[in-house]
Amino acid sequence: MDQFDEMLRERAMREPCPIPADYAGRVFAVCAALDETEETPKQKRTARHRWPVWAAAVLALFIAVPNVSPAAAAAMADMPVLGAIVEVITFHRYTYDDGHGSANVTVPELSGSDAAQEVSNQVQAYTDQLILQFQKDCETLGESYESLDVTSAVITDTDSWFTLRVDAEEIQASGYQFSRFYHIDKANGQVVTLKDLFREDIDYVTALSDEVRRQMEEQMAENPEVSYFPEEFTAIDPDQNFYWAADGSLVLVFDEYTIAPGYMGMPEFTIPADVYENLLK
Amino acid sequence: MTQTVLDKETFCAQVVRHQDALFRAAKAILRSDEDAEDAVQEAICAAFTNRDSLRDVEKFKSWMLRILTNKCYDICRKRKPTVALEDVADTLPAASTDPTERMTLWQAVLSLGDELRAAVTLFYYDGLSIREISGILGISEAAVKTRLSRGRARLRQLLDEK
Repeated sequence: MDQFDEMLRERAMREPCPIPADYAGRVFAVCAALDETEETPKQKRTARHRWPVWAAAVLALFIAVPNVSPAAAAAMADMPVLGAIVEVITFHRYTYDDGHGSANVTVPELSGSDAAQEVSNQVQAYTDQLILQFQKDCETLGESYESLDVTSAVITDTDSWFTLRVDAEEIQASGYQFSRFYHIDKANGQVVTLKDLFREDIDYVTALSDEVRRQMEEQMAENPEVSYFPEEFTAIDPDQNFYWAADGSLVLVFDEYTIAPGYMGMPEFTIPADVYENLLK
Repeated sequence: MTQTVLDKETFCAQVVRHQDALFRAAKAILRSDEDAEDAVQEAICAAFTNRDSLRDVEKFKSWMLRILTNKCYDICRKRKPTVALEDVADTLPAASTDPTERMTLWQAVLSLGDELRAAVTLFYYDGLSIREISGILGISEAAVKTRLSRGRARLRQLLDEK
């Protein structure tokens, strides 16, 4: 701080920012309307997951502990019975807590085929990267609170297709949710991303992007509570997250904040078949 | 480590204690009184919902400012890319006909570029450290220093201080 800095801080005290006359009343009204009985998101998550290792993890001091747990894999009641070429054989669990930052990362390990092993390696690399970044953030943020939660679910497992969804939520004061989808085409044993669905000479990015933009504008026109950033949305990622809905529809998924304000969560757009069916391989 | 979730009374007392700082930070980013009040309202609700993420009540101000700046950036993204001049006319420093009349510091701050205003406000008005500002704005400490340096140089010109 030099003399000029000190002079500015002194002037800042003498010449405060003008505050609107109604502001204090509005703050008071907002505070008065807060509902203390509503559960916080963390309370809801805790109730949902009921991690048996949580109490022990809270006592751990700045460590990341990988646990190999075949029993946990077998016990995951919400996992469907898996086909012969893709199996969840175990879960690797990382827990961490230093009193300010906490992490719960559960990574499934797949087996049964080369494609399953490839997905398993990709998921491991992805979650390793998240954990590394989390640890760096903890060092940077010092005593500020930060948490990382990573969970996964098999959302499709048919004779011909397998999709694993990995959901992550980072909280640094406010939360940020994002996901990755991993697909295996069981018919040919290949790991698949969005671009693999379409012929190489086809501009599927523009076709799907135009449809997403159209749906954004349509939804905003129909409902004033809905908000996207159509002016900032240029195109989908060539490997945009997607999954096949139960009725066979193609659904594109966007991470929180990428195309909409945070209160919109993770937007999903169901693409009508007539938009893309002629573009498929 | 046991964590105590803030009760409503404590939470609201903290909000009231820091309400001017909240408005000032929101106004620095958004430049509109109305948008700033909206952002503060949304931030209060979001913070209360996520109040169990605050581990240390001593950090309330930084924690709340971080949530608020996220809300402000949400509002910025929702805005149309261009803004009519009359919509922000009241936020810009008025041209003075009196050559002896000085621009106030706040008028000078509001005339800074978008990137600079929040860092300058948090540093000079709230007395926060570069590290704290880095955490609140979600940018590196080097970026905070750069913004403060540019903001300081521009304020020196605007305020005609040697």
